[in-house]
Amino acid sequence: MATVTLRNLVKAYGKTEVLHSINLDVANGEFVVFVGPSGCGKSTTLRMIAGLEEVTSGEILIGDKVVNHLEPKQRNIAMVFQNYAIYPHLTVRKNIGFGLRTSKMSKADKEKRIDEVAGLLSMTDYLERKPAQLSGGQRQRVAIGRAMVRDPSVFLFDEPLSNLDAQLRTQMRLEIKKLHQRVGNTIIFVTHDQVEAMTMADRIVIMKDGHIQQIGTPAEVFHRPANTFVAQFIGAPSMNMLDARWQGGRLHLAGQDLTADLNLPDGSALTVGIRPDDLIVSETPGLFSGTINVLEPLGTETLAYVDIGNGYEVIAKASGRMPPKLGAHVDLVADLANMHLFDQNGKAIS
Amino acid sequence: MNLYSRLSIERKRTVWAWAFLSVPIFFYVVIRFYPTADAMVLSFQNWNLLGARSWAGLDNYVRLWGDPVFWKVFRNTFMYLILGTPISLVISFVIAYNLDKTRFLHGTLRALYFLPFLTTAVAMAWVWRWFYQPVPIGLFNNILSSVGIGQVRFLNSTSNALPSVLAPAIWAGLGFQIIIFMAGLRAIPVSYYEAARIDGVSNWTILREITLPLLKPTIVFLVVFSSIGFLRIFDQVFNMTTNDPGGPLNSTMPLVMMIYQTAFSSYSMGYAAAQTVVLFTVLLVVSLVQLRILRDR
Repeated sequence: MATVTLRNLVKAYGKTEVLHSINLDVANGEFVVFVGPSGCGKSTTLRMIAGLEEVTSGEILIGDKVVNHLEPKQRNIAMVFQNYAIYPHLTVRKNIGFGLRTSKMSKADKEKRIDEVAGLLSMTDYLERKPAQLSGGQRQRVAIGRAMVRDPSVFLFDEPLSNLDAQLRTQMRLEIKKLHQRVGNTIIFVTHDQVEAMTMADRIVIMKDGHIQQIGTPAEVFHRPANTFVAQFIGAPSMNMLDARWQGGRLHLAGQDLTADLNLPDGSALTVGIRPDDLIVSETPGLFSGTINVLEPLGTETLAYVDIGNGYEVIAKASGRMPPKLGAHVDLVADLANMHLFDQNGKAIS
Repeated sequence: MNLYSRLSIERKRTVWAWAFLSVPIFFYVVIRFYPTADAMVLSFQNWNLLGARSWAGLDNYVRLWGDPVFWKVFRNTFMYLILGTPISLVISFVIAYNLDKTRFLHGTLRALYFLPFLTTAVAMAWVWRWFYQPVPIGLFNNILSSVGIGQVRFLNSTSNALPSVLAPAIWAGLGFQIIIFMAGLRAIPVSYYEAARIDGVSNWTILREITLPLLKPTIVFLVVFSSIGFLRIFDQVFNMTTNDPGGPLNSTMPLVMMIYQTAFSSYSMGYAAAQTVVLFTVLLVVSLVQLRILRDR
C-alpha cells in the first residue's frame, strides 16, 4: 500500500498542453475516482501514474519516491484496462499468473497465490478456461485478478466497466467496492460515468480540459459544487441553471423576485442552480409555475420538464404514483436553502 | 403477376445469389476444373500436341519414377521450399516487427520494402543476374574483390546456383509478407503490450508469449501462401538461367520448369501431365499438413 502524490503535473504533446499543473494527494488505502467528459485528461493522468506516458513536467510520487523516470514494472502498480487486456490464447490461470512471471516466488507458491486470488473473485471453477469461453463480467474479473495477484501498492483502473451492460456494471461496481474494503489497497479509478464516481469513491476528482475542477467526497461535490461545470456534471438529471440578478436587496430570477440574505454588490449577475430533486411539482403556489412539456416516468418518481416562461425549461420532480398530466399547468416549490449560487465566471458563491 | 414476384423473399434471394454465382462457377468449370480433370486423364495418355491421344496406362508415372532428372528436380523443388519459406518468413517478420515500431520515415520505408513486389520478375531476375557476374561486371564480385575476397561463382556452380536463384525470389516476396505481418501486428491491441510492461516481463517473453501466438493466423496464412509460391517457383529460375535452363546440371531446375520443358520443348504432353499431377498432389499434401500442424488446438 502506498500514497500517490501529483505535483504540478503537466503533459504536453508537442506544443499542445493537455494537462495543466495537476496537484493531488491520494492517501494510503484511499479509493479516488477521476471523472470527467471525454478528452478531459483523466486517462492521460492515470497513464502517467502507470508509467505508460512520459511526464512533461512536474512530479509523480508513489510512497515518498519520485517515479517520473521509473519503468512501469518498477513502480509496483497494477492496471486494469478498458478492454481488459487479457490474452485470448492463454487460460484464466495463465492470464492471472502472467503478473507473477518475474516474481521470485516458488512455483507452488505462485499456484497457491493464483488459487487464492481466483477464490477471492469466485473464478476458481473457470481457471482452465480461455477468455473466449467467459462472459464480459468474468473477463473483467480475470483482468482484476491479474492486477491483484502481485499485491501491488496501487491499483489503477482505466474505465474498466464501460464495456459492460448496465446491469453487470452495477454488479461489478459493487464487487470492486467490496474488494477494496477487503484488501484495502490504494485505488485510482478513471470513469466518465458520474454515477460510478459517486457510488465508489472515497474522494472524487472532477476534471475538465486538463484542469481539476474540484476534489472532494461524493457528498461535497454533490452538495457544494465548486462551479457550474461540477454542478451540472454531477447528479442525474442535470442541475437546472437559471440566470439571476441581485438588485435592491432582492434576487430577480426568471421573472420572480425573491427575498434573500446575500452579501453581494448591488447589480451582480448570478447563475442560480436548483437540482431537479429540490424542485417539486406541487399543488400549492411556489417559486415558479408553468406548463409540462414532457414527462419521464421513472417508477418511484416522475421527471417533469416544465416551461416556466422567460425562455426557461426546468426539470422538476413529481410523484411516481400520481404523476401530473402532460400539458397541465403546475406550480413548482423550491427551498431557497437548497439553491446553489454561482458568480458570472461560474464559481460558487458561498 | 409473373412467377418471380410470387416467390418468397428467401427464394428471391436464392435466385439472385445463383444468378451472380453462375458467372464464376461457369468460369471455374470451363477454365479450371475441366483442364484439371483433362490433365489428370492426359497423364495416363501419350500425346504430342498435334496427333491423336493414345492410352499409355501407368507408363508416364513409371517413367517418372525411374527418371533420375525427376528426382533431382523433386529435391530442388523441396530445397526451394525448405530454404525459402522459413528464411523469407523470418526476414519479413524481423523487418515488419521493427518497422512497426519505427515512426521516422515509416511510410517511405514501407514503400521501399514493398517496391520489389511490384517489379516484374523478368526485370528483377536480369538485374540480379548482373549482380552475380564475375569481375569486372558483377556487383557482388566487384565488392568482394575490393575487400580482397576471392571470386564466388554464383550461377555457374552446382552448389551455389540454387541459393543464388532463391535469393531474389525471397527478396521479391518480402514486401508482401512484410505488409501482411504488419497488418497482423497492428491488429494486436496496444493494451496487451502495456499490460505486459506493467507486469514487468521482458521483451523476449512478450515476443514469444504474446506477439507470436497472437500472430498465428497471419503466420499460418503466410506459411501456406509462401510454400505454394516456392513449390511453384519458375520465372526467377527461367530468367536467371536462360543460357542453360535449370542449370548447371539441373541444379536449379524446379518441377514447374521440368513440366514446361517436357511439354513445350519435348512435346511429351502426357509425361508433362503426369508431372503436373505429382506437383498438384505435393501442393495439396504440403498445404494440408501445414494447416493441420498449425491449426488451433
